[in-house]
Amino acid sequence: MLAIDARDVTKTFRARWPRRRETVALRGVSLQVPRGSIYGVLGPNGAGKTTFLAICATLLTPDRGTVTVLGLDVVRDAARLRRRLNMASGRPSFLWSLRVDEVIAFFGRLYGLSGRRLRARVDELVALFELGPYRDVPYHELSTGIKQRLALAKALVNDPELLFLDEPTLGLDPDMAIRVRAHVAELRRRHGITIVLTTHYMREAEQLCDEIAFLKAGQILARGTAEELKRRIGLGDVIALRVTPPARGLAGAPGVLRYVENDGWVECTVDDAGTRLPELLRRLDASGVEVRGVQVREPELEEVFVELAR
Amino acid sequence: MSWRAEAVAVWAFALRNLQMASRNVFFFFELLFWPIVGVVSIGLMTRFLDLRPEETSFVLIGTIALSVVQVCQLEVSYAVLFDVWSRSVKHQFLAPIGIRHLTLGSWLVGMVRGLTIFLILAVLGWWSFGFDVLRPGPGGLAAFLAGCFLTAWVIGVAVCALITLFGNRAEAFAWATANLVLVLAGIYYPVSVLPGPVAAVAAAIPLTHTLDAFRAHYGFAPLVPAPTLTGLALAVAYAALAHAAFWASVRRARARGLLLRMSE
Repeated sequence: MLAIDARDVTKTFRARWPRRRETVALRGVSLQVPRGSIYGVLGPNGAGKTTFLAICATLLTPDRGTVTVLGLDVVRDAARLRRRLNMASGRPSFLWSLRVDEVIAFFGRLYGLSGRRLRARVDELVALFELGPYRDVPYHELSTGIKQRLALAKALVNDPELLFLDEPTLGLDPDMAIRVRAHVAELRRRHGITIVLTTHYMREAEQLCDEIAFLKAGQILARGTAEELKRRIGLGDVIALRVTPPARGLAGAPGVLRYVENDGWVECTVDDAGTRLPELLRRLDASGVEVRGVQVREPELEEVFVELAR
Repeated sequence: MSWRAEAVAVWAFALRNLQMASRNVFFFFELLFWPIVGVVSIGLMTRFLDLRPEETSFVLIGTIALSVVQVCQLEVSYAVLFDVWSRSVKHQFLAPIGIRHLTLGSWLVGMVRGLTIFLILAVLGWWSFGFDVLRPGPGGLAAFLAGCFLTAWVIGVAVCALITLFGNRAEAFAWATANLVLVLAGIYYPVSVLPGPVAAVAAAIPLTHTLDAFRAHYGFAPLVPAPTLTGLALAVAYAALAHAAFWASVRRARARGLLLRMSE
């Protein structure tokens, strides 16, 4: 079952005043998101990530293509669909003088909650996101981290089946970012919510997402699990060797794709560590270089991102 | 949507406007300061000009209508303005609500504020300048207030449409539109003093007839034989048009990405 089935989606923003401008945001994007998954949409600034999320969330209509979300068309069935999804972004903004519980209650009412059910839902979300101490604090007096937690609480007020998170940990300190990620993982685990998130933090995507799509200039360049993407980009494995004296002869060794010297370590990116490591060690031994340490690691998603964003 | 859900969504916007207003110092100025200053200064001017009691009533009716319409219209405009100012527009359009919930909720609060102002200014006008606000009777008063509130709804919704169409650039309409309409509708003078083509425009404004109907109780002849009905019919027609315009501008904003640009 698919939560999102997007086919050949195109979107161009046009401005006529004060000067004529056209920005192509999406160029024939097709993407399928399985229900119950956490799906990452990654890409550099201006890649079209937020535009894609906005179309899926019915905030924007596509110029061409079809998008079916939870089995409903985002244009024809938008009103019905809105009951079943929600969204939070990393730069949340709500009415400045509303208090934390008033913000949640306001949105709860928009989703038809009232009376005891509304109060219970507000209490539940305040507790879930540890907002109790800030309950009576006006929005403009909250710190960035608390605003982010409030945005997540608001996004869950209607118990959505599909949740869009647009850079949910943007600007958070590491401790808070870890807690937000834990919340996100918990939402899927406990409630089975499908989550589509955009992020610039590769670790976040690697840690949370079942699948990832890389967008650049409005097109999907690659998609798959983090592991699949690393393999597909062909970055290979990284063999780090602590050697004395520095070894010069490894750059031209068979299977070495990249060679970097750094602070007593040499890093060789190879096509396959299992095959190449014995050969590298033999070469070093033959040239009288002492190997004091060896580390083998897979490339990080960040490297995949850099490679794709080039 | 069930009736209960409809009512809850309307109440959500009404309550939100009340909460925002209760924490805003400008609320006091909007609700009391400017309207009272208006009635006192215009009332004193009528004394200086030595106007007859009927003429004083004529001018004060316009002054009171100005305050009632302005305050109620601003409240309706806040349905969108609050979110534009806080850059949170997308959240309410992400929810399963219609524009009727935004405008009706805000209009309810606008009517409460408008009625409060009307009562304060009517008492002040009576006490300071002998203005007999009760002369038209309950029916006349109700028709006058209904005309003012409907005009305010039309202007407020039209402003919401303009803001959704042009973004923050259209914010000035929130304050300018009501004044323009009120000048054309003859707040301090009969529209017969306006130049021919402008008077024709004035005749198409519902508030012109609402004011005419109310002033008829003070001895001034209306433009048309049934001013109350004409005013209300025009107001209802414009209300439908304004609502359609707002709906179309939200649709256009979804197509052009303005909802996103006015958010976060």
